[in-house]
Amino acid sequence: MCLRMGLFLTDAFVLTFFVLGIVQISATKRDFSVAGSEVSGHGALMPMSGARFLPESSPFKAHKIAYDFSLSLSSSFPEDLEVSDYCLALLGIFGERYVTYVKCLVSHARPVKICEKCYANYNNLREIYNNISSDSMGPGNMSCHDSLVRSDRLMLVYMLYSSMEEIWSTASCTHCFTPDEKSLSNNTLHILTALNTSLSCFETHQGNHTELCKECKALYRSLSELYSTMEYNNILCIDLEDAMNVTRRLWSKTYGCSFPREETVPVIAVSGFMLFLPVIFYLSSFLHSEQKKRKLIHPKRAKSSHSLMNIQDKFS
Amino acid sequence: MNMANITKKVSWSSRGDDSARGEATPLLNGTEEVRYTRQPSGGLFHISRLSTVDLEEEITSEEDSVRTRPNMIPHNEKLLSLKYESLDYDNIENQLFLEEERRMSHMGFRCLEISRWVICGLIGFLTGLIACFIDIVVEKLAGIKYIVVKQNIEKFTEVGGLSISLILWAVLNSSLVMVGAIIVAFFEPIAAGSGIPQIKCYLNGVKIPRVVRLKTLMVKVFGVICSVAGGLAVGKEGPMIHSGAVVAAGVSQGRSTSLKKDFKIFEYFRRDTEKRDFVSAGAAAGVSAAFGAPVGGVLFSLEEGASFWNQMLTWRIFFASMISTFTLNFFLSIYNNKTGDLSNPGLINFGRFDSDSVAYNLYEIPLFIIMGAIGGLLGALFNFLNYWLTIFRIRYVHRPCLQVIEAMLVAAVTATVSFTMIYFSNDCQPLGQDQTKDDYPLQLFCADGEYNSMATAFFNTPERSVRSLFHNPPGSYNPLTLGLFTLTYFFLACWTYGLTVSAGVFIPSLLIGAAWGRLFGILLSYFTSGSSQIWADPGKYALIGAAAQLGGIVRMTLSLTVIMVEATGNVTFGLPIMLVLMTAKIVGDYFAEGLYDIHIKLQSVPFLHYEAPATSHWLTAREVMSSPVTCFNKVEKVGTIVNTLSNTSTNHNGFPVVIQIPDSDEPGMVCGLILRSQLIVLLKHKVFVERARTRLSQRKLQLKDFRDAYPRFPPIQSIHVSQDERECMMDLSEFMNPTPYTVPQETSLPRVFKLFRALGLRHLLVVDSENRVVGLVTRKDLARYHMGKHGLEELQLAQT
Repeated sequence: MCLRMGLFLTDAFVLTFFVLGIVQISATKRDFSVAGSEVSGHGALMPMSGARFLPESSPFKAHKIAYDFSLSLSSSFPEDLEVSDYCLALLGIFGERYVTYVKCLVSHARPVKICEKCYANYNNLREIYNNISSDSMGPGNMSCHDSLVRSDRLMLVYMLYSSMEEIWSTASCTHCFTPDEKSLSNNTLHILTALNTSLSCFETHQGNHTELCKECKALYRSLSELYSTMEYNNILCIDLEDAMNVTRRLWSKTYGCSFPREETVPVIAVSGFMLFLPVIFYLSSFLHSEQKKRKLIHPKRAKSSHSLMNIQDKFS
Repeated sequence: MNMANITKKVSWSSRGDDSARGEATPLLNGTEEVRYTRQPSGGLFHISRLSTVDLEEEITSEEDSVRTRPNMIPHNEKLLSLKYESLDYDNIENQLFLEEERRMSHMGFRCLEISRWVICGLIGFLTGLIACFIDIVVEKLAGIKYIVVKQNIEKFTEVGGLSISLILWAVLNSSLVMVGAIIVAFFEPIAAGSGIPQIKCYLNGVKIPRVVRLKTLMVKVFGVICSVAGGLAVGKEGPMIHSGAVVAAGVSQGRSTSLKKDFKIFEYFRRDTEKRDFVSAGAAAGVSAAFGAPVGGVLFSLEEGASFWNQMLTWRIFFASMISTFTLNFFLSIYNNKTGDLSNPGLINFGRFDSDSVAYNLYEIPLFIIMGAIGGLLGALFNFLNYWLTIFRIRYVHRPCLQVIEAMLVAAVTATVSFTMIYFSNDCQPLGQDQTKDDYPLQLFCADGEYNSMATAFFNTPERSVRSLFHNPPGSYNPLTLGLFTLTYFFLACWTYGLTVSAGVFIPSLLIGAAWGRLFGILLSYFTSGSSQIWADPGKYALIGAAAQLGGIVRMTLSLTVIMVEATGNVTFGLPIMLVLMTAKIVGDYFAEGLYDIHIKLQSVPFLHYEAPATSHWLTAREVMSSPVTCFNKVEKVGTIVNTLSNTSTNHNGFPVVIQIPDSDEPGMVCGLILRSQLIVLLKHKVFVERARTRLSQRKLQLKDFRDAYPRFPPIQSIHVSQDERECMMDLSEFMNPTPYTVPQETSLPRVFKLFRALGLRHLLVVDSENRVVGLVTRKDLARYHMGKHGLEELQLAQT
C-alpha cells in the first residue's frame, strides 16, 4: 500500500495534501471533543453543535493560545479522550484508498471510463468506510464511528465519503455491474463489443464518408437498437452513455450519416393544399351560405305622449 | 309643441351609414314608429344629450324610412335575444309556502342544512371523478395517437415519404375532432366552447336553455376528450367548470328528468334559488379540479356570481372545492400506482417550482409589469380577432354540417402547421434525463441522441408543452423556435376558440404566454450577457408570461391570481402574478373586452353587470319599463288565462294580479304577481272555483306539485282545457306572490338596476301614486342599456 502511494505521490500532490489535511483536522477534532465532553458529554449525541458548547474555561483558553503559537498540536489530552490507535490506523487506510480512488476517477474522467476502471477502488473505499462507520467496538471499547465520524461539526470523513458515493450514484455505475458488483454485467459486455465493432468499422472506412455510412449502417443500427432497449430498461451507466454519445456524434456529425432533408417539395405541396382548404371553405360559405338574419322585436313601451307629457311636466 | 325647454334630447345614428349621422330625432319621446326604426347595417341606438333640435321634419323622414327598411338585420353584438329568460331567484311567499313552512319542524330545517352539506360533498366527489376520467382518457388517446404518428415518422424519415406521415397526422386529428364536433353540433350545441360564459350567465340569473342538463354533460365530457386528443389548440380546463356546474344542478335535484328517474330526495331544493347556490358550488369544484386550486375555485364563483353570496355558502362551496381536488388527487394516485400519494392536484399540473428557480428581486418588478402590458396587448389582439371570426361564424357558418367541416379543417391545418414547423426546424437539442418516458421526442433530421426542439412544443398535448416551457433547463429552446411557436400558436388558438367543439381557452393562452415569456427571459439574459445570475432562469419568465397572456385574454382578476399561485404552489410569486394580471387587465380593457364578455354579448344574452351604465341617472323607470302590462284579476276566467298564455306574440312570464275598479279603463291596483309556470300547474290540476265547490274531496294543491313540474314546465299547448272549463273561474289569491317588489315611476335606472341585480329579481312592477300598475321592468329592459363608444347606447330585441 505504501509503495503504491509513493508511486503516485508525484502526480497527485494535491490529493495527498488533502489527505494530510484530514489528519491535521482530525487532530484538531480531538481538541473539540475534549471540550464537548468537558461540558456534559453531549459531544457524541449532538455532533453538529458540539463545538458551540465550548465553555470559556481557562484550561481551554490556554490550549487555544498554545495552538495559536505552535501549529503542530502536541497531543496532551487525557488518555481516554484520545482517538485510539486502531481508529487512527483505519483512518490512515481510508486516506490511502481515498487517494487511490480519486486518482483513478481523475485519470478516467475523459472519455468517461470510471465505472469500468475504478469499481475495484470504489469497493475498497466502501469496505473501509463501512468498517469505520460500523458500530462494532474496536479494541479499547471505543467505536471508531463516534470518534472519527461523528464527534465534530464538520464530520469530514463522512463528507468526503458521501461526496464520492454521490459521484458513483450519479454516474449510475451500479447499473453496469452484476448484482454482487464484482464484475461487469453481461449486457454491458455485450454492448461494449457492439461499440467496439462499430468503431473499428468506422476506422476502416475512414477515408470515404459515403461508403462508411453505407458499410457501417447495419452495425451502427444494431448498436443503436441495443442501446435503446437498454436505455428503456434503465440499465446504462455513464461509461456506456458517454461512449454511445461519442459514437453518435461521430456518426451524425463527423461522418454526416444522419438523414438528409430531401422531401421538401412534397411536404410543401401537401401542406399548401391543406392550408388552401380552409380558404376555400370560408369563401364558399361566405358566398353560398345564407346569411343569418335576426328578426327584430318591438317591445311594448309606455305611450310616448305619456312620457313626453311627464318630461314636460318635470321641466316646466 | 313647446319643445324649447326640453333639454334632454335623444338622437340615433348608425355606424355603418354616415349620412344618418348627425340626424337628430327623438327616441324616447318620439312617436312609436320612430323608436323602432332600424338601419339594416346593424344599427344601434345612440342616446346622448344633444342640444334642442327641431323635430317635426325629421319625424316625417323617419316615417318614410320605417316602411322601406326591412326588419331583418344581420347578427351583431348589439342585440338581445328573446330566447333567454330570467331565473326565478325571488322566493314566492304565497300561502302555500307559508303553510309548508309552518308544517316544517325545527328538525326539518336541520335536515335541510345537513343535506346541503351532503350535496356539496357529492358535487365535489363527482366533479373530481369526471376530471379524473377526462384526464386519463385524454392521456391514453393522445398517447396512442402520438405513438402511431411517431413510429410512422421514424419509419419514413429513413425511407422517404414524410408527406404521408403528415397526412396520417392530419387525418387522425380530423377524425377525432370530427367525432367531437358531430356530437356537439348535432346533439347539444350549447356544449360548444368552454362553457364559462354560459355558467357566468347562469350565475348572473339568465336561464340558458339546456345548459345544465345531463345530456349536455355527456356531450361536454366526450367532446372535450375528442378535441384535446384531436390535437386542437385547446385545453380541458374550461369545460371542467361547466361539467361541475351540471353535476351540481343534477345532484341537488335528486332526480334526472332526462333519464326519467326520481330518487325522491332533495325535493326542497327544486327551485331556482337553491339550485343557483349549488351551481356556484359546482363551478367552484370544477375550477378546483381543473387547476388543483380550491381557494381559486371559491373565488371564481365569488367573482362570477358575486351578487348572491353569504358566508355559510362560501364555506360550503369551499368544502365542495376541497373534496373535488382531493378526489381527483386520490384517483389519479391510484391510476399512477401510487395509491394514497395525494400530490397530483389538478388536471393541469404546472409542476413544482423550487423556490431557487423562481427567486425574484425588486428590480425585476418593472420587467414583470412590462410583460403584463405585453400580455394585455396580445390578449386584446386575440380577442379582437376572435370577435370578428365569431361574428363571421354566426352569420355564415351556422349549419351543423358546415360547423363540423370547419372543425375538421382546423384540426387538419393545426397538424399541418405543426408538422411543417417541425420539419423545417433546425433547432436540435440533446434530451434531458427526465423527459424520455413521458414525452414523444422526435428526432427527424437531428443528429442521433438529439431531438427536434420544435417537436417538444408542437408534438405534445398543450398541457405538457406548458410544463416543459416552465421547467426545461435554460438552453432547451432557441429564440427563433420560441418566436415561431408563439406566432403560429397564437393564430391557431385564436382560430380554434369558438369552433363547435367543447374546449377551453386557458391552456392555449398559458402556452402562448409561456412561449413568449420564455423568449423574453432568454433575450434578457442575452442582453445582460450573464452579468447577473438572476436572469439565468427563463422558466420564471415563462410563468409570468403565461399569467400575463391569460389575464390579457380572459380578464379575470382575483380568482385568476389565486388560481395561478395555487397551481404553481408558490405563494411568494403572488405579488408578481397579481401585478402582471392587473397590468394586463388595465391595458387590455383599453382596447377590447374580455373574451368571455365578448362571447356573452355575441350570444345576445341579457347580462346584467355589476352596475347600471354610468350617465344613466336621467332615465327613469317610466322610460325603461314595458307597458301596457297584461294583468289578471284576482279571480280570473280560465278562458282569458288560456288565451293570454297561448298568445305566441306576447311570451310573458309574469302577470301582475290586480283588483280592477269596476267600469273603468284605468289600470287596476296591484295585489300580487303570478308566474306563467304557476298558472300552467294550476291549469293542469284544474284548480277552478267551480270544481272546488262540486268536488269537496279534491286534494288541496301543495307546493310539492309546483316543484314536481320544475324545471321543465309543460307548454300551454299540451294542456287540454275544454270549452266548458274555459267558462270556469280561477282564484289566484292563494298562489300568487302577494308582495311583489314595486317601484314608483320616477325611480332612476341605476336604482331600479341595483334592486334588480341585488335581489335577483325577474319582474319589477312600476306603479303610480295610487298603486296602479303602469309597467313592468324585466331583465331585458335593463340589459338593453350599455355604455358604447359614443355614450349610452340601446340594444335591440331580436328573435334568435
